Amino acid sequence: MVRLITHNMLACHVKNCTKDNFPLAFSDVELVIRPAPENLEFINRFLPKLDWKALVDTARSLGDTTLPETMPESFTEDELRALHHVLMEMHVEEGNMTCRGCGHVYPISNGIPNMLLAEHEVGR
Amino acid sequence: MPLYILRISSEHHSFRIPSLLSISQVFKFPIRFVSTDLSRGVLIVELEKEEDVEKILERDILVQSATELYAEGATYDELHANLRAKLEVFEPYKHSTFKITTDSCNHRIPEPRSRETINTFKYTGLRGGVSMKAPQVEFMICEDYEWEVANTPEARFARDGKFVRVYFGRRIGLGKARSLITSHAVNTRAYYGNTSMDAQMGFLMAGQALPGPGKIMYDPFVGTGSMLYAVAHWGSYVFGSDIDGRQIRGKTKGKGVRPGIYRSAAQYGLEDRFIDCLTYDVTRSPIRRGGWVDAIITDPPYGVRAGAKRLGRREGKKPLREAPYLMEDGEYSHKKPDYLPPSRPYELANLTVDLILLARWLLVPKGRLVFFLPTVNEDYDEIDIPLVEGMKELKIGDGSVQDFGKWGRRLITMEKTATDDGEPPTFEDHDEFDLKKVDGKLPGHFGFRERYLTGFRPRKHDKTDDVALTPDGEDASE
Repeated sequence: MVRLITHNMLACHVKNCTKDNFPLAFSDVELVIRPAPENLEFINRFLPKLDWKALVDTARSLGDTTLPETMPESFTEDELRALHHVLMEMHVEEGNMTCRGCGHVYPISNGIPNMLLAEHEVGR
Repeated sequence: MPLYILRISSEHHSFRIPSLLSISQVFKFPIRFVSTDLSRGVLIVELEKEEDVEKILERDILVQSATELYAEGATYDELHANLRAKLEVFEPYKHSTFKITTDSCNHRIPEPRSRETINTFKYTGLRGGVSMKAPQVEFMICEDYEWEVANTPEARFARDGKFVRVYFGRRIGLGKARSLITSHAVNTRAYYGNTSMDAQMGFLMAGQALPGPGKIMYDPFVGTGSMLYAVAHWGSYVFGSDIDGRQIRGKTKGKGVRPGIYRSAAQYGLEDRFIDCLTYDVTRSPIRRGGWVDAIITDPPYGVRAGAKRLGRREGKKPLREAPYLMEDGEYSHKKPDYLPPSRPYELANLTVDLILLARWLLVPKGRLVFFLPTVNEDYDEIDIPLVEGMKELKIGDGSVQDFGKWGRRLITMEKTATDDGEPPTFEDHDEFDLKKVDGKLPGHFGFRERYLTGFRPRKHDKTDDVALTPDGEDASE
């Protein structure tokens, strides 16, 4: 169920992959929307930790266009609700996350992403 | 400020004060311990208001009941004298239906004497009438005895009345969290494994993480998720990772199959608090930034039932491949769906330092790291808890220990004192635990698995013991 809040915290960590390693690009996605109780205070507190551009681009790639291009200075309650929906209610159950830098594919099955590296990708 | 009698389980008594302090911190109320002996079944605390007691009854898994203390004494004469001097406490309850019950620690009061004793409280002037089933107010007499083995009815009868102290007060309520021990029992859980933490201990650990709504907590060795159910129960959002995805999923595979951890989460109604579970090695982690996790709570694998693993190949074996491996069928090995990268044992001493460094980076300021550290009791030393800049151990008395005889596990609670994120840890092996480089004292948890399996033979500190000291583990690539 990779949620976008999680996705926003993940970067490709293959050895020497430092360019274009974030955000990972979704493909072949099976998306499920599951309503979740709102905690807008949490969303508000989490805001500074997010990478806004990555979030908006990713949400758009999954068909959600409710978020504004640039991060608002302050959020209205409706905007926080839209953000809650994107971060907490959109689940990617199946599909792939691909690094735009090195091309590593992280597969998601049953909502669990496999982010183990292959032997030659482990540093040191 | 009013005093309260907490009747508290004698199990895990080194966990009770940290547990109460953490609850007082979550709900921001002051608590003062009035009892001088903090290990008895009766604990007297001072609190500002009854609401605070309610919070304790709601959250503390060790607390059986709470009573507002009216009077106490070493004898009934003393108790009665003290209570007669403050009969005004009964004023609000003059016309309420009531009952008086007896309770005792380390003893059971025989029924006839119980009734007899209750009848000596007639002077309280309560006129509302007795109601055994649904009283408006309940008073309690509690006798506290020394712990003693009394195997026969005669022996038990002989010590009746020989209590250390007796208390009287108005009962506030019973501990509500006690029932979590049965409702969250591992054997009734939809999904669990052989390393799942028992429910009571899980909740005691969880309390130390200061869980609550709107906080986000992480277990980097999530396994079957035991740590997360407890913190999520108290409202936290949670996520976990494990190098072994099979632990997260369970045996059943295929499309549409719900992973085991999510099945248990659903059983407890916590699905929407389980943000995600991911398969990765925490030493090779995809987390892109620090400073956003409220608590890290984990029971690291220490090798008895499951050894800790990290990606890599064991020292002395062939080095890691630099390039992908092309198989005979023309496919790269790592592209196969059942590909598992090689792993090597993750020495507990290294893991512990790394865990604290990880917390230093990932936690928000004042965030907490809570974990169990197994240790050989003889070898334990203060220095066993690695010192990391920006992280401080919160230790009360001698700390919280679950003692199994020759070894024990200590519950370590640390707080991030640093206000910046700092750098992510490099997860290099630490020289201070490299047997080829050090002669000095090793921590009590070093090579724990090997020591457990050899019955905790005293450790020699010479280098010829290298072989016996090296913790064992299997290489997944073999």
